[in-house]
Amino acid sequence: MMGTSILHTEKLCKSFSNGGVQQHIIKNLDLEIREGDFTVIMGASGSGKSTLLYALSGMDKPTLGKVWFGEEDISAYSNDALAVFRRKNCGFVFQSIYLLENMTVFDNVLTGALVAQKNSPALVQKAEELLKKVGIGEETWKKYPNQLSGGECQRVGIIRAVINEPKILFADEPTGSLNSASGKDVLDIFTELHTKGQSIVMVTHDIRTALRGNRVIFLSDGNVVGEYEMPTYGSDDSKTRREGLQDFLDRMGW
Amino acid sequence: MSAMEKILRLSWANIRKRKLETVSLLILVMLCMLLMGSSLAGVFGIRNIFPQMMEHTGSYENFILLSAKYYDDEFEHILRSYDSVEEVAHANMLYSYGTNYLDADGKEQAQYLGFITHDDAMKIEKAELETTLTEAELAAIEHPVWMPYAAQITLHYRCGDHYDVIYGSRKYAFTVAGFYDTMLYDTPESALKLIVSDQDYRTLQSVLDEYDILAYNDHQGQGGTQLMDDFTKACEDYSNNDIRSGLIGWYYDAFRLNTAFTLGFLLAIIIAMAAIIVLSVAFMIRFRIAADIKEQIVSIGVLEAIGYTSKEIVLSYMAEYLLIAAAGCIPGFLGCFALTPFLLSLGETMVGHYISHSVCVPALLLTVAGILLLVAGIAFLRAGAVRHYPPVRALRKGQGDHRFDKEYLPLRNTRSNVHLRLAMKGFFQNFRQSIGLTLCISVASAAVVFSFILFLFFGFNMNAIANNAGIEMSDLHIQLMPGEDAKAFAGELLAEPEVRKATPTTVEDMMLLLPDYNQMGFCMAFEDFSVTENIRPMEGRFPEHDNELMLTVTMSKMMKLRTGDTVTLEYLHVKRQYLITGLVTSTTNGGANIYLTEEAMKRLYPNYRPSTVEVYLEDGVDAEAYRRQLTQRYGRSLADAAQDKTESGSYEERIRAEAERQIAELMGTYGVSHVEYAIQVGDEMITGNSSSFRIKSILNLGSILQTQLGSLSTAITAATVAFSLIAAIVVMIILFILMESTVRKSRRELGIMKGMGYTSKELMLQLAFRIMPSALISVVIGTVIAVACTGFLTSYIGRIGINYPAVILVDTVILLFCFICSYFGARKIKKISVYELMTE
Repeated sequence: MMGTSILHTEKLCKSFSNGGVQQHIIKNLDLEIREGDFTVIMGASGSGKSTLLYALSGMDKPTLGKVWFGEEDISAYSNDALAVFRRKNCGFVFQSIYLLENMTVFDNVLTGALVAQKNSPALVQKAEELLKKVGIGEETWKKYPNQLSGGECQRVGIIRAVINEPKILFADEPTGSLNSASGKDVLDIFTELHTKGQSIVMVTHDIRTALRGNRVIFLSDGNVVGEYEMPTYGSDDSKTRREGLQDFLDRMGW
Repeated sequence: MSAMEKILRLSWANIRKRKLETVSLLILVMLCMLLMGSSLAGVFGIRNIFPQMMEHTGSYENFILLSAKYYDDEFEHILRSYDSVEEVAHANMLYSYGTNYLDADGKEQAQYLGFITHDDAMKIEKAELETTLTEAELAAIEHPVWMPYAAQITLHYRCGDHYDVIYGSRKYAFTVAGFYDTMLYDTPESALKLIVSDQDYRTLQSVLDEYDILAYNDHQGQGGTQLMDDFTKACEDYSNNDIRSGLIGWYYDAFRLNTAFTLGFLLAIIIAMAAIIVLSVAFMIRFRIAADIKEQIVSIGVLEAIGYTSKEIVLSYMAEYLLIAAAGCIPGFLGCFALTPFLLSLGETMVGHYISHSVCVPALLLTVAGILLLVAGIAFLRAGAVRHYPPVRALRKGQGDHRFDKEYLPLRNTRSNVHLRLAMKGFFQNFRQSIGLTLCISVASAAVVFSFILFLFFGFNMNAIANNAGIEMSDLHIQLMPGEDAKAFAGELLAEPEVRKATPTTVEDMMLLLPDYNQMGFCMAFEDFSVTENIRPMEGRFPEHDNELMLTVTMSKMMKLRTGDTVTLEYLHVKRQYLITGLVTSTTNGGANIYLTEEAMKRLYPNYRPSTVEVYLEDGVDAEAYRRQLTQRYGRSLADAAQDKTESGSYEERIRAEAERQIAELMGTYGVSHVEYAIQVGDEMITGNSSSFRIKSILNLGSILQTQLGSLSTAITAATVAFSLIAAIVVMIILFILMESTVRKSRRELGIMKGMGYTSKELMLQLAFRIMPSALISVVIGTVIAVACTGFLTSYIGRIGINYPAVILVDTVILLFCFICSYFGARKIKKISVYELMTE
């Protein structure tokens, strides 16, 4: 069953000026993100994947066109209004993780949480539960990011992103800087979140990561050139799933 | 490429990268150079002022003035007999306490005056006369007077101006012929020694006391009180006379110390201001380098990887800040050539002598060297941190850092505002930086609060000055004719609806001697001091009994007397001992006031009767209008009659006016107690007598105070505004640089937080709140320092009231100012693009 639209773009354009020359990264792109979907954005390097992700999430403003979040045109928002939009509706997981180095693990999680909601014992309890759930034990909570492994950092980053129960979770190559074991752990968390109904938009160029989604959008030269839908991860045969996606990507010239 | 070239290239690249911060630092260094250089050059200038004065005046160093009625030629031989004394000279001078003269507005002003002939002046100094008048103009002046330069510098007299001196009811009209440089009685604050013609001297001789001056140099530097004491005893033994009541001493060392203190105080304030800036510069450089290393750590790794040594990188930092400091020192150095002469001209006004305006270049060069050395030292020490980052570690963004021993303010305990919590967290995490900031703002706050206290006291509130004057600042000060009953007169006035209070007293027309210290003071006698409104003891209490008195702070310091000590007073050869019950601040009469009750005065002089009435008018009553009303009721005062040149009215009125003028002269000048007159005009006999005069003079003290202290008030206001402005600029620059550097240093963290949904305004608020603990502590420390400085100043110039609510208000303004500067200083947060950060 198709979910309702949570986010859609209308002739979205994004350009950058490079030495006085305008470079058009996203060109008149129309796209719809559905609630409850695990949407994976793929494409060749320079195809505009990350640019699209940041425009969708309100991290960056489009040059032209609109981004609708439900009934709200967030492309018209000021920078501060976008920040408020992000804190209320979005969670982010980055390839470079971007934990705050001068804060402990627990404070990193709460920094994201407290900006959106007032502190309460329940919030602290929730942070503790989530951290434990992803394997970050109590002994690690007072450690600083540079005392953790990459996988641990990314798990903390995910908890920081989801603690506010965002309407959409955005992820930009979340396993890009991790080894395969850590990457799998992280992807398992994403899968679990999706199973529980979390809407996710993830950028990746890794087919194993893309397999976790149920919808793959392929970008080329700043526009959507193909779309592929799959059942929820784990509900079908993995071989068939892999071959289906591979076939789609082959057709896209991947 | 040579090593030096590499270093300079790196430095130049850094300077170009952060133009705004560079310019801010340059301005700070320039201000520092300007203030420090000028004040240091001023200090050197002050050291030369006194030798310059001595050389220019050719004056003897010490003087003993002895009333001619006690003087004996043998005294000169006694003085010569001391081993340490050399080069004794003898001259004569007329001297008067509390003479009145008419100022430019025709108002009477009190002044100590001395008169000397040019021949006598040349016996004790060069007395080189200077004038802008031509020979013909000089010859045309009937009564020329040559004044000390101070009259030109501080009282603004010019050649050709009229200078009318009033003794009793008699006016002596002089014309300013020119000026000369002198040491003895050189300023209005001490006395003005005027050179007059032989003929005028002889005229004044009949009405003024003559003094013999013994001028001497003392090669052992012991020309002060000890020698004076020995000399006095020797003279008394020789003459069998008590000569102390007619003796005045003047010592070069005391003069130099007093004057140097005033000038030194001015310069100390400027040096303190410069010190604030030096601290700020040191702090800013230290902080900027730390921020730069953090921001540039990868670039530093790359440089090291391609062959730059850490020493070269450290030297490049040194070169960068030396270049900025040198660039700031140049305009500062040049500015000193304008500011130093200005400071020296202020010094001229204070000392009343012309001072060489030449700037002490070695002092400026010393300042430049000091600043460059400080900058190089701090840059070298702070940039030394680069050595801890070998290429691999630097390329890993200094991994290994951020090992925190203690977690400050964990967010799990946040109860209210997360932004405030994060701000406080930031404060503790940057504690060393916070200490530096606290130090800078503390000193700046101290400067602002201190100048504000002075401004409130001197510049804003004339009552405050009145309360420090040490005399009653009534609306009208009425001196009665001898024989008038002041108490009865006060009772008459009190019955009038315009009068709120009328207090009989004696103020300033009796001089009392403190024989043990060769000092004299004006008698301030009141029946009961509790009725006074402006005289308030700074220490101890009012005198109540007939064996008690109160001294001024100035006198107590001069004579090293304290509350509880006893002191002997002398009047007309009668001596009595008194207990000092308290000390009072006095900015009038050179601080030479003695306060005692009527009963205490009667113990010294049984015939004592008050001679003055202080009149306090009801609110809204105009003092001048009431003065006219008094004239209508009681007739003109003797002083008014003496100055009356009315040639209008009927023939009889003019005759009566002339008769009254003659009576005024007889009574005022010659001490005649009663005059009757009868003038026959045709068949008519016009008669009258002196009984019509009940009032000797009426002074409107408020107006005089306004005239005398108005310029002081303006000067203090201007100085405090300038002071606060410099402090504000410095604090603003510090906070702007600090915030810019913090934003640069924390660019990544701020970008991440923006990504999480923190708005730019929230992050700006966080950074502004982060400095508030420092600002709050600084303001408290600054206020304590300012109050302590005020206390220190109080011990020199008397009580300075502190308006604590106003001070708290200023503290609040400082805090707000710091907050606003920090908030807007952090505005570059707005330019941080989350997207750029994420895709960097």
